[in-house]
Amino acid sequence: MSAVFALVIFPGGVFILLAGMLYEWVDRKLVARFQNRVGPRWFQPLADTVKLLAKEEVVPDGVNAQLFVVLPVIALAGALTAVLYVPVFGLAPSFSFSGDLIVTIYLLSLLTLCMGLAGANTLNRFSLLGATRTLTQLFSYEAPFLLALLGPAILAGSWRISTIADYAAGHWLILTQPIGFAVALIGLMGKLELPPFDAPEAETEIVAGALTEYSGRGLALFHLGKGVELVVGLTLVAAFYLGGVTNPLWFVVKTLALLVGLAGVQTLLTRLRIDQTVGLWWRYGALLVLVQFLALILWEGVIA
Amino acid sequence: MQVPIMPAKGEKFIIPIGPQHPALKEPGHFEFSVDGEVVTGASLRLGYVHRGIEKGTEGRNWVQTLYLLERICGICSHVHATAYCLGVERLAGVEAPPRAQAIRSLVAELERIHSHMLWLGVAAHEAGFDMLFMHSWRDREIVMNLLEGLTGNRVNYSANVLGGVKCDIDARQTDAILAGLEHLEDRTRHYLNVVTSDVMFLRRTRGIGVMTKDVAEKLGVVGPTARASGVARDVRLNAPYAAYDRYPVELITATAGDLEARFIVRVQELFETYRVIRAILADLPEGGLTVRMPRRIKEGETISRVEAPRGELFYFIKSNGSDTAERVKVRTPTLPNMASVLTLAVGHQLADMPMILAGIDPCFSCNDRMIVVRDPAGRGAHWTWDDLREYGIEYYR
Amino acid sequence: MWKDALESLVSSPATEKYPFQRLDAPDQLRSQLHWNLEKCTGCTLCAKDCPADAIEIIVLDKKARRFVFRYHIDRCTFCGQCVESCRQGCLQMANDEWELAALSRQGFDVYYGDDADVQSVLVGTTPPELEAAAD
Repeated sequence: MSAVFALVIFPGGVFILLAGMLYEWVDRKLVARFQNRVGPRWFQPLADTVKLLAKEEVVPDGVNAQLFVVLPVIALAGALTAVLYVPVFGLAPSFSFSGDLIVTIYLLSLLTLCMGLAGANTLNRFSLLGATRTLTQLFSYEAPFLLALLGPAILAGSWRISTIADYAAGHWLILTQPIGFAVALIGLMGKLELPPFDAPEAETEIVAGALTEYSGRGLALFHLGKGVELVVGLTLVAAFYLGGVTNPLWFVVKTLALLVGLAGVQTLLTRLRIDQTVGLWWRYGALLVLVQFLALILWEGVIA
Repeated sequence: MQVPIMPAKGEKFIIPIGPQHPALKEPGHFEFSVDGEVVTGASLRLGYVHRGIEKGTEGRNWVQTLYLLERICGICSHVHATAYCLGVERLAGVEAPPRAQAIRSLVAELERIHSHMLWLGVAAHEAGFDMLFMHSWRDREIVMNLLEGLTGNRVNYSANVLGGVKCDIDARQTDAILAGLEHLEDRTRHYLNVVTSDVMFLRRTRGIGVMTKDVAEKLGVVGPTARASGVARDVRLNAPYAAYDRYPVELITATAGDLEARFIVRVQELFETYRVIRAILADLPEGGLTVRMPRRIKEGETISRVEAPRGELFYFIKSNGSDTAERVKVRTPTLPNMASVLTLAVGHQLADMPMILAGIDPCFSCNDRMIVVRDPAGRGAHWTWDDLREYGIEYYR
Repeated sequence: MWKDALESLVSSPATEKYPFQRLDAPDQLRSQLHWNLEKCTGCTLCAKDCPADAIEIIVLDKKARRFVFRYHIDRCTFCGQCVESCRQGCLQMANDEWELAALSRQGFDVYYGDDADVQSVLVGTTPPELEAAAD
């Protein structure tokens, strides 16, 4: 019974969907304020979702209709499942087993993969280009992002998120692994397709990227999935690097602080071309995280 | 149901940009053949906002035509009206008084500020740099308010009348303009700094869309696009009109010919514009605002060239002695500049296309022409306005 | 541009929250047209020069200078040419009546003139004095 409650109401399900909308609102409001605009009111993401759900879903010609309809559902399901293993709202994860760090990252990538497939499924030129860019970006940031999250895992000596979070609660790993923190944060921006890494959905070049043909319910589910992914990603980075999220108050403070930082980086940087993104990641991202690993190994093996 | 057609390996893939696309503020149809992300060919089709304005001048008298031509474009409306008025005044053999010419130049320079700031924001938005977009448009509001205070409207100022101008300027407006200019100059200096030193932004503009001086002269590009490639041409200097011989302008050129050079040329033109406006306000001649114009203009034909914010604007006006124009022909600066986009596009990445297009400062409303589409099977037909309307209603039923 | 970002964060937005907050229009603004009956000679230059055909002069009696001025607000482009064309100075544009949007076309045809004359034009009959004069 409590499993169903955790899945559907709290902390998964309804609660995380609302939290995703709330975080999306904070992000949009902050970006607007940086640009000297007013920004949306607090219920805007909720209103967007309700409006999209009420609209007709247009299935274009030439697509595989079942795949078209099912992909958004799978994407949202993946994101919601990832919530179960992560300490959202400062509570212990609902389910926990050894190795769930890899499973969580895989589930988050499932969302991106579904978006890429959704784009490749249509005949629309813009969607095909967007899908290509999404998958290219997935391949480039995935390795450095995972390695940056593995840094704390190595120190904690475990692949289980709750163990790592408990270990990190005692130590502020941002101080000892600043490079890893930077790479993790930027990797998060790549995963969420936030500017400057929003080439896959560059609105002035390819309309809406992989999601161009989506409308109505499918688009609403993808947006909800992205909101959930935002919360899960922030929780992971905050739990590992910012001294753990031991109670709800710390959770809110730390994740919102990270969100402010993300919003700042979003407004100040120009969008990168997809080849520049890949170059950046494979040259600097991977290199930096390997340097960080070297430092860790030396510390663990030689000094400690 | 449509059969999905996937291009064979090596076959080119065509990406349409427009007529409805977030990158285009106005409709035009570009077809880019891409190979992966690299563009291998480009073609253009215009005519989506053709409104028949040149034909519309045939049924209106000289005064009504002025307002029609002013509405060809929203951001270069004053220069269209100025070119027309100068041409018609030349045909009638009258000369507007010096104060009117000076006020014409003043409003034209204020419009240049407005247009360049708008362009700066739009080009930044195409690159994905929304911060610069929002902030430069916030500062553009200053010049819009100045224009509203001087002429009575934010766009389509209607400052010109045949024979002079309608709006006068007093001490209070002069002070407001000077105060506004000070603020704008500060901000422009800041934007010049951003455009030349922001590392991420330079990655999108430096070395992209390079057009050498030879190519620029061969394609016949005009305006800041040409000046950024080193072509030293500016109608305000080569053939001064209105009050530009009294308040000369300095030429701003750059040699690199890439997108960064176009940004630099336009932002530095803003500084030059501020200097010219201050010179005009410091030394405004006294006198009347209008001179009497006959209602019927003598027979003759004339050409009239002015420097719009985008380049050289060319008018040909022919009169047959009545109170309506016989023929007015308009050639706007965006038309020659469009050809350069097609030439420059090849070899660049698709992500650079909106930037290259924004680099020439396109104004599709200005440059629309009628397209003749010939059907090889010869199945043409003649339709009247009513036929067209009925077809449209039936199509959407 | 990070300084701009921080400054914008702490200051209020640049957006004008219309309709709760209305800025004053400048004196030069060209909004609704007004016609002064007394000086009009009926030359109809304003109607001839209007680029949008927004002005109609209905002549009831040219010698006695009885005109009704019909102004189509929905066609007007607020260019101000009529004000320039009129040599008697009968026309002027207000500078504060710019909120002219409405939900229906009723009220977009404005008649200026003597009340009785306007009434007769609206109803479609000639005024009684003219009929008497014609007899």
